[in-house]
Amino acid sequence: MKRLTYLTCSLVVASMVAAMVGWSMAAGNFLVPVIAIPLGVIVVLACRAHVDIVIADEREKRIRSKAALRTLEVVIIGGAIAAVILYSFVTSIPLTPIITGKIFLNADGTQSMTIAEYKSGSVPGPETLVRSTTIQDLNAMNETEAVAYCTYVREGFSGNENRGLAGMTIACGLFAMLAIFGAFYLYYERTY
Amino acid sequence: MKNRIRVLRAEREMTQEELAELVGVTRNTIISMEKNKYCPSLKLAYRIAHIFSVGIDDVFTYEEEIDGPSGDDE
Repeated sequence: MKRLTYLTCSLVVASMVAAMVGWSMAAGNFLVPVIAIPLGVIVVLACRAHVDIVIADEREKRIRSKAALRTLEVVIIGGAIAAVILYSFVTSIPLTPIITGKIFLNADGTQSMTIAEYKSGSVPGPETLVRSTTIQDLNAMNETEAVAYCTYVREGFSGNENRGLAGMTIACGLFAMLAIFGAFYLYYERTY
Repeated sequence: MKNRIRVLRAEREMTQEELAELVGVTRNTIISMEKNKYCPSLKLAYRIAHIFSVGIDDVFTYEEEIDGPSGDDE
């Protein structure tokens, strides 16, 4: 078997396994991946055994090892910077949106409140206003207004919270990657 | 690390593909070694010397200026 045939075969098997796993997840059948994934691995390994030329020699392994190490270094450094920047949105006051609430006394004696959201790090004003809503009668707030009041502040901060969550996810991913790298490093240090 | 693989191969009228097959590496590795871009492992170096029926010193020459004191090819 030629190298190209092997690569084509691997690609076809991987596509079929991915399609089957995707379908089974959508259909709620969890038995298919358990059978399909090991079967796919066996087929690819069987194809690999029948390749008549050398696929990976010591030079190829050294190139892969260096490329993997460089990738790890770049991802760790870049990821750490990205994680810190993203998480800073949660803790930084200048980066959070400015939300104000003003209570007005109406002519009929009732009180109304206007909640306004302004761009982060700006001076509150008409040109920096993102959105605003008014609750007509604070003492007779209906359910819709109450929900709007509750969700308004939460939605205002949700962008920053999402960035913080992404930052935490990246940080956890990097930590896991470093832990796996450390485990393999210790293993190979004992082996060689 | 300099080597005489190309010369030794030419003397025996051997192609890069044939040598690669005999020592169990890809043709690209032979090409890289002949261009002095890749420094082979000791095992591969001995295998190449064995194929040509010569000593390892007859194939490879260590040069301090090129390889550096640590021999690291970084």
